Amino acid sequence: MKKYLAVINMQFINNIAYPGDFLGRSVSIAVFLFIFAGLWKTTFLVTGTDTLNGLTFANLLWYLMMAETIELGRPRINRVISEQVKNGEVAYILSKPYNFILYHFSFGLGDSLLRIIMNIIVGVLITWLLAGPPPSPLGWVMALTAMIGAWLLHFCMMALIGLAAFLVEETNSFELVYQKMVFVLGGMMLPLDLFPEWLQRITRMLPFPYMMYAPARLFVKPDLSLFGQMLAGQWIWVAVLVFAVALAYRGSEKVLTVNGG
Amino acid sequence: MIAIEVNQLQKTFQTKRKAAGLAASWRALFRPEYSTVEAVRGLSFHMEAGELLGFIGPNGAGKSTTIKMLTGILHPSAGEAKVLGLTPWRERQKLAFHIGTVFGQRPQLWYHLPAIDTFTLFGRIYELDDRETKKRIDFLAEAFEICDLLETPVRKLSLGQRMRCEVAASLLHRPKLILLDEPSIGLDVVAKQHIRDAIRRMNQEEGVGVLLTSHDAGDLEALCRRVIIVNHGQIVYEDKVSNLKRKHLTTKLVEVRYAEEVPQGFHLEGVDILKVGRYGVKLRFDTEHTPVDAVMAYLSSVGALVDITISDPPLEEVIAKIYKEAAPKDVGIL
Repeated sequence: MKKYLAVINMQFINNIAYPGDFLGRSVSIAVFLFIFAGLWKTTFLVTGTDTLNGLTFANLLWYLMMAETIELGRPRINRVISEQVKNGEVAYILSKPYNFILYHFSFGLGDSLLRIIMNIIVGVLITWLLAGPPPSPLGWVMALTAMIGAWLLHFCMMALIGLAAFLVEETNSFELVYQKMVFVLGGMMLPLDLFPEWLQRITRMLPFPYMMYAPARLFVKPDLSLFGQMLAGQWIWVAVLVFAVALAYRGSEKVLTVNGG
Repeated sequence: MIAIEVNQLQKTFQTKRKAAGLAASWRALFRPEYSTVEAVRGLSFHMEAGELLGFIGPNGAGKSTTIKMLTGILHPSAGEAKVLGLTPWRERQKLAFHIGTVFGQRPQLWYHLPAIDTFTLFGRIYELDDRETKKRIDFLAEAFEICDLLETPVRKLSLGQRMRCEVAASLLHRPKLILLDEPSIGLDVVAKQHIRDAIRRMNQEEGVGVLLTSHDAGDLEALCRRVIIVNHGQIVYEDKVSNLKRKHLTTKLVEVRYAEEVPQGFHLEGVDILKVGRYGVKLRFDTEHTPVDAVMAYLSSVGALVDITISDPPLEEVIAKIYKEAAPKDVGIL
């Protein structure tokens, strides 16, 4: 156990090593918030209403802040694994006495933690400026709880894509497709409540809403029954994907060809 | 005690074949052609515990592939191997506690942080006690002369300094065996000496076995007692380093200087005169065809010798000769 904590710690420190670069990346959430604030304001103006399917301007912006925090804090380990396979560094990672997947889990966690904290700080400041005070403490509690499951789901998907690197080396295209699916079907830009009913039913059968919509929605409109539903769905999908990752890992060990030598 | 036992190890890769040009790229997309590369073909050898074994061969000979199989990173296509009693690709994590690796062309120290951070991390990864780790770091820092470098970000170190840190890092957990894949690549003469001395010291003081691949014959001469030469995925030579020169190339180069001018008609049967100067002669002969004492007798008879140099051909020449041979032969007596 200690070894994985050490890895988390190490990557955390690694990120702090370049404060300039790091702060710069935190600016992106600010940019998104400004742009979407403008978009939503215009939408409300044009439709002449105060709410869209029960969500106010403030709701929508705080929703976005949480969704973006998750998106920007996503553990991009597929890129790390792909790089390691391409330049042969994977040889080192595999020659150490720890589980490959758990190593990347710890690495990803160390990476995400700092980013998520920064994004929340910057995000809260900007959104408060644009849309008024944040949701209630209950919203925070539910959102942060749901964020754990969401992060795990993202991790599993990124791990699966990353393991594909053992076979195909370049996984950026997979990541792109995945990211877009989460954007649309996960309800990042548009909360799923604004989708037509038939689409909502389809998306609820996929893991994507649990990765993005769940924490963000619970943030702005904390609802106990929704909380229960979302959490159950999340952890079922976590179990499925963790199993998939374990299987994929077993299989990929055999296919690995290490570059260099 | 045997540290490594390899039996008929084989590794075949399928690589995609693609000709040049756009049309070929399209074709490769829909109907990929694969060519089979037999990187390792039936390799068998063993290594004693605490031994310093050289494992050399030209580029593409299958050295790195073999090392990767021995560390359990690659699964072989056929054959068996046991490293410290464990099958590497099946018990990789268990084996990892007892072996160290350095892949010369790729860094294992975290690039943006000081080396000491990686050392501490390794201490945790190898499940060492914190105090033990600290003592070990101090010891290795002294042995590898990196005490002042530990707190500098790795990216700021020179290659020589970095490699010393890398090899030190691979020894943190007191492995029984370390596999060094080209540790001296790109290093200057002094840096190479440093690394070799440190490795030799660790081998002598701690009994760490060292399996070394290198393109530098100097590494071989300085460190290894025995050497295995591979080419085309097979062993082509296996013997003590000292025998390599003695058995394989029997030519000697001799340079002499005389007190007085070299007389005309300086000549001896079975000897190649390479250069005749005013006071000196450079010649070459094969000890298998021309007895040494006959040459020495002639040289001293010609005049008063002031200086003499007798040298073996460089080890590189010997190795190059072996590399060029296509078929495996001459498996020497150990």
